[in-house]
Amino acid sequence: MLANTLFGLLGCGLLCVALAATALRFHVFPARVRTALMAAVLVAVLIPIGDLSIAGTVRGATGDLSATTLALAVSAVFARLSGRTMFERREMNALLWLVACAALFLYPFALGWTAFDPYALGYGSAAFVTALLLATLAAWRMGLKLVVLVVLAGGLAYLGGLYESRNLWDYLIDPLAAAYALAVLLWAGGGKLVSQRRQRAPVV
Amino acid sequence: MRARLKWFSLAAIALVFAGLYVRALETPPAARFVAPRAAAPAASPKPLVRPQLLPNSSTLSVHSATAVELSGGRLRAFWYGGTREGASDVAIYTSVYSPTGETWEPERALVSREFAQRHLQRSLRKLGNPVAGRDGAGRIWLFFVSVSVGGWAGSAINAMVSTDEGETWSPPRRLISSPFLNISTLVRGPLVQLSDGTLALPVYHEFLGKFGELLRVDAEGRVIGKTRLSWGKSSLQPVIVPRSETDAVAFMRYAGDPPARILMIRTRDAGAHWSEPVKTALPNPNAAVASVLLADGPLLLAFNNAEEDRESLSLALSSDFGNSWRVARNLEGESLLPRAPVNEYSYPWMMQDRAGNVHVLYTWGRARIKHVVFNRAWLEGGG
Repeated sequence: MLANTLFGLLGCGLLCVALAATALRFHVFPARVRTALMAAVLVAVLIPIGDLSIAGTVRGATGDLSATTLALAVSAVFARLSGRTMFERREMNALLWLVACAALFLYPFALGWTAFDPYALGYGSAAFVTALLLATLAAWRMGLKLVVLVVLAGGLAYLGGLYESRNLWDYLIDPLAAAYALAVLLWAGGGKLVSQRRQRAPVV
Repeated sequence: MRARLKWFSLAAIALVFAGLYVRALETPPAARFVAPRAAAPAASPKPLVRPQLLPNSSTLSVHSATAVELSGGRLRAFWYGGTREGASDVAIYTSVYSPTGETWEPERALVSREFAQRHLQRSLRKLGNPVAGRDGAGRIWLFFVSVSVGGWAGSAINAMVSTDEGETWSPPRRLISSPFLNISTLVRGPLVQLSDGTLALPVYHEFLGKFGELLRVDAEGRVIGKTRLSWGKSSLQPVIVPRSETDAVAFMRYAGDPPARILMIRTRDAGAHWSEPVKTALPNPNAAVASVLLADGPLLLAFNNAEEDRESLSLALSSDFGNSWRVARNLEGESLLPRAPVNEYSYPWMMQDRAGNVHVLYTWGRARIKHVVFNRAWLEGGG
């Protein structure tokens, strides 16, 4: 099996564990049981049923997962295992904002909205690398460790050729991370709006 | 401790970005088209035309033929077939044509859905269009469409390569060509060789927009660059015809508002930039076209000669590289020709062999693949 197939399947397996741990409320069990359950889920989704594992079925729909999605999955698994959050709220929010902005820049154009295709920059553009470097340095200066970690992990995976793709964008973000970021930010924005209106409403 | 971690992370940033800059600088520079080969020997002055149906009887439905020339003037064709388009039993079939006996071998299934799924390690629902061609090293490449979720808009491309004229093949590998779950990329037009050994693969998208792109594929079958051919919602299935190292014309199927015409674009810098699509004078009922630059100059186009249906298939010639056209012959649609049970003749694939004869393969009534071989004398004799 090719290394990037293995890596892709492991990534999808990790996503399955994170989803199962969240949906099935693993955190109500004792720590050892939680760990055992997650290990069992990981093994179950990676074992082929016929020609294909559950992770392979997920991979058919999602493709290989970006460093952002893997970081979010690791964060979810850590939270369910330990009962603590892995990253500060501020750091997570910064990552989600960056992902949402990148997605709004990338996807509409990549899907043919105009003649401009930002996805083509990911095949080796010094301008794109420079823009990413500036964003990463700004994040480093502001102490946003999660953003720095995701960019470095994605960059290393790209340099190592861990995925089938040769496009840097695919190592940094994917539609799952983008959808999650947009959903969380819209939900948070909507919640803020409602509470502001409540505060402004006259007391009767 | 914290300060040390901070400086360590800055050093890591420097190292990783140094690597990213090196990789960006290593990206292969733009390459030129491999110019069309020298003129073939003069073909027989006697008109030659030989139509025949391939013996592809093992499936109810077939579509989307493609072919490469083998040694000795033989052809190897590929197409997809199954109980119907989009069915889970659709497989890619292949057969070899021998000019000495003027016969096609019995077909054999080359890629099934299960086979592709096992090697790609991801779920697949169905297989679609194949495209075959050679690289500069003489290897035969077979690109084919697969879908994991949804309809054709959910397509992705896969590639296999053969070093023994198509007898044995590498396992398929996935091409990554879109950031959106890698869906919505399909192939139909022939690939073009580039001067540095890489390939230019024309593709199109069908999710939300309908537009064409040119993928640059390296010797390992990985996408290493792309150029947009068009954008919006009305152009697909590009067919690229180079005439020199820098100049090429491309034709595209049109899916927009009337009048329905074949679209044309041009490049003068080996595909780095393309002109805006313009409508030619030739009709297009939202169907694939094929084109080839004949060895001694004129451009030949196979197309459905109607705006509404695929009930006719014609050949048109252009002596000014696509500016003006005259219909030279009708392959299908004339009243004397036998008709298929389903009156549809579509998805032509066209190539000129080393002897100068032209081969057209196309879907005949959705049930058979038809092969027509002819020479210039027959083509020009059509009035």
